[in-house]
Amino acid sequence: MTAPRPSPQESLGDLTELPTVTFGHRSLMWWGTLGFMVIEGWTLALIAAMYFYVRQNFLDWPPMRTPLPSLPIPTIGLAVMLVSIVPQILADRASRRLDLGGVKLWLLISSLISLVIPVLRWYELWSLNVRWDSNAYGSAAWLLVATHATLLLLDVSDTVGITLFYWFRRMPIKAMSDVADNSFYWYFMALIWVPIYLIVYVGPYVF
Amino acid sequence: MTDPIRRLPPNESAVAAPGVLPGARPTTLSDEVVLADAAALELTWADKPGLWGWLTAVDHKTIAKRYIFTAFLMFIAGGIEAALMRMQLSRPENTLIGPDRYNQLFTVHGTTMMFLFAVPIMTAMGLYFVPLMVGARSIAFPRLNAFGYYTYLMGVLFMYVSLFINMGPDAGWTSYPPLSGPQFSPGHRIDVWAQVVTFTEIAALAAAVNIIVTTFKMRAPGMSLNRIPLFVWAQVTVAFMIIFAMPAVATASTLQLASDRAVGTHWFNPSEGGDALLWQHIFWFFGHPEVYIIFLPALGFITSIVETFSRRRVFGYTAIVLANITTGFFAFGLWVHHMFATPIPELGQSLFTAASMVIAVPTGVQIFCWLVTMFSGRPRLTTAMLFILGFFFTFVNGGLTGVMLASVAFDKQVHDTFFVVAHFHYVLLGGGVMPLFAAFYFWFPKVTGRMLSETLGRWHAWLFIVGINVAFFPMHFLGLNGMPRRVYTYLAETGWGPLNELATIGAVIAVLGVAVFIVNAAISWRGGLFAGANPWDSYGLEWATPSPAPSYNFVNTPVVLGRHPLWDTGSPLPVVTGLRTDRREVLVTTTFDAQPDSRHKHPTGSIWPLVLALVMAELWIGSIFTPWAVLGGLGLTLLGMLGWGLQSVREQDVERVDTGAEIVEAA
Repeated sequence: MTAPRPSPQESLGDLTELPTVTFGHRSLMWWGTLGFMVIEGWTLALIAAMYFYVRQNFLDWPPMRTPLPSLPIPTIGLAVMLVSIVPQILADRASRRLDLGGVKLWLLISSLISLVIPVLRWYELWSLNVRWDSNAYGSAAWLLVATHATLLLLDVSDTVGITLFYWFRRMPIKAMSDVADNSFYWYFMALIWVPIYLIVYVGPYVF
Repeated sequence: MTDPIRRLPPNESAVAAPGVLPGARPTTLSDEVVLADAAALELTWADKPGLWGWLTAVDHKTIAKRYIFTAFLMFIAGGIEAALMRMQLSRPENTLIGPDRYNQLFTVHGTTMMFLFAVPIMTAMGLYFVPLMVGARSIAFPRLNAFGYYTYLMGVLFMYVSLFINMGPDAGWTSYPPLSGPQFSPGHRIDVWAQVVTFTEIAALAAAVNIIVTTFKMRAPGMSLNRIPLFVWAQVTVAFMIIFAMPAVATASTLQLASDRAVGTHWFNPSEGGDALLWQHIFWFFGHPEVYIIFLPALGFITSIVETFSRRRVFGYTAIVLANITTGFFAFGLWVHHMFATPIPELGQSLFTAASMVIAVPTGVQIFCWLVTMFSGRPRLTTAMLFILGFFFTFVNGGLTGVMLASVAFDKQVHDTFFVVAHFHYVLLGGGVMPLFAAFYFWFPKVTGRMLSETLGRWHAWLFIVGINVAFFPMHFLGLNGMPRRVYTYLAETGWGPLNELATIGAVIAVLGVAVFIVNAAISWRGGLFAGANPWDSYGLEWATPSPAPSYNFVNTPVVLGRHPLWDTGSPLPVVTGLRTDRREVLVTTTFDAQPDSRHKHPTGSIWPLVLALVMAELWIGSIFTPWAVLGGLGLTLLGMLGWGLQSVREQDVERVDTGAEIVEAA
């Protein structure tokens, strides 16, 4: 390696007073999270578009002799999904106050709720009342629900993982910002489920 | 040589330092302090030595170099496949290669060149230079970056191992169903294709997020949006295009085609309500932007090179930025022109014809801006500039046949003929590969510290540009005479023999050109002339640091007072100080004005990106043989993520936390 550039060099300012941990859009991780939200949201939107594309090939929706999806479990699932946002908001707020007790409490509650969701999701898949290999309608409905489920599973692991870290390790203060970003991602996963629920479960009753 | 700055027109964007840090007084840094900081930074930022250090490296320059090297190997592999095909077609009824092998060759050639060479190498140039050009110490997410590279590498290995065990994909790089579906392509060849595509898409998405966040949040103080180098603008536009294009092909190949083949879904099966045309829509919704994903970074190279060697600031900065973004948007609105031979409603045909012609406008704007820059400057005809001239000649030809193909009547006539082959090779070789070679000559000194030989460079440029034109120009006529693409041979009575022979001769000339380049690079890597920090008297921040750039990029973060820092301010640039040298820290600035906002603790080397990439490879490759591999892979992925997370939380340090209400010091 060659020597650094020749001095004298002029310094126009000193950065030592700047903070090293920030929250929300001031942190790099928030932007990374946003990037992956856009990618995943767009993927789900494309799959929804294909669902409607396939719809054009059928006179009836669901196709003949395919039963309508059952609504009870998916509706419970949707409610749980929406309720799960509340402790995430509280964990988010606690992290921004650097309130360790609050973060641990609300993360624990978030985790407990989030563990119920994959179980419900299993029954939600079977509430479609069609198999993925029955016809293109089944393929489309399964793909939309299963793709969201896969992303959700990663988010559930993230939430449970960060909770375990907070309960069993002394966490660096920097992780408070990660808690806020985890909540930020959770809002997205929960809210994007609303249109998917409407399309896949309610949609066949309507169109 | 005289100082180029004096002859430059005044730069209206250069204003006095906009209060970098309010209330700060300029101070002069002594040599001793700068040298001591450099030594401390090297200890903090250098990747560890030895094999372990090699496997855990996260320096964006190290990763990008591996990316570029691997992708260039893929260019050679794809070139060998092309050469074999040209040999086979050089005369009628040739028996060198049989139909089955030929099918694998053209499929693997296309897939290699698009997915394993062009996109990765263009984004890798961004991964190397974007942090340097915006004056950052590193890239936003170095471990994600390493993960992206290893994922891509798995795709490369998987594809070529498959090819050598006669499992190479054989349904064309577009893999249209029903040909690629379970009924007409039993076995695992198409599955290989579907998974290789997924590997490269994940890698491209990781790179895209990295480039966007690095550009938005890590620019040097003073580099407001209207001072971002055009190279970086091009990379950012492409990164956004990747984010919206790649999910389409990943969905189509992995979630739909692969599951049609593995678990019996019916996406593309018309008898159960599926639709083969749906594939073409999704594939080209990705596939057309893909062309621009390859082409736009090249436009960024061209601006840097034209400005430097014309020795003046580019004409029409704002027009070029807007043209970039417009191209990015329009690129998503023309995919149907690949489907004119399918039943598309007439209104749709007209719309997509119009869109396909309109996209020539922003590209034309950029070309005129460069021409004005060159005519009003004092151009120096280096090898890099020779390649840029080759680009003008070759790419404009390809663009013109593109406008011809936008017409439905004409397109139907030459659809799936060699006319189309000629068109897209003119566009991709002229618009992608020639600027890439120009970029190699231009930035090789920055990467290696040595100059490439200009003499060998000229041989390379002339052989390559002439060879490519001799190889592909005759194909226009072959196409007009009705020669279809993707056929392994033809009868002598067709009369296609002589032009095919000429094309093969052209290919041989181009191959010689590439061989000269490889020799040049191999000799110059260790034996070239020493370059120094700024061998071309260029203007960008990447030239404000030694060649090769040290692990920490800059001893102190430079302050940017105009669009052309080294031309506006001269060397040495003013800086800001105060990032810690005893741990990895990067400066985070505000999105629009690039005002210093925080110091971010940056990740150190890690083995987890490699582990996670291996686990994901197990998942995707295993899923070809049994769907249960997905479950196992998901479990392992979670373990990998846990390991990754544990490493991240292990490092404790006192931080200054800005809660929004107050700043607190805590550990």
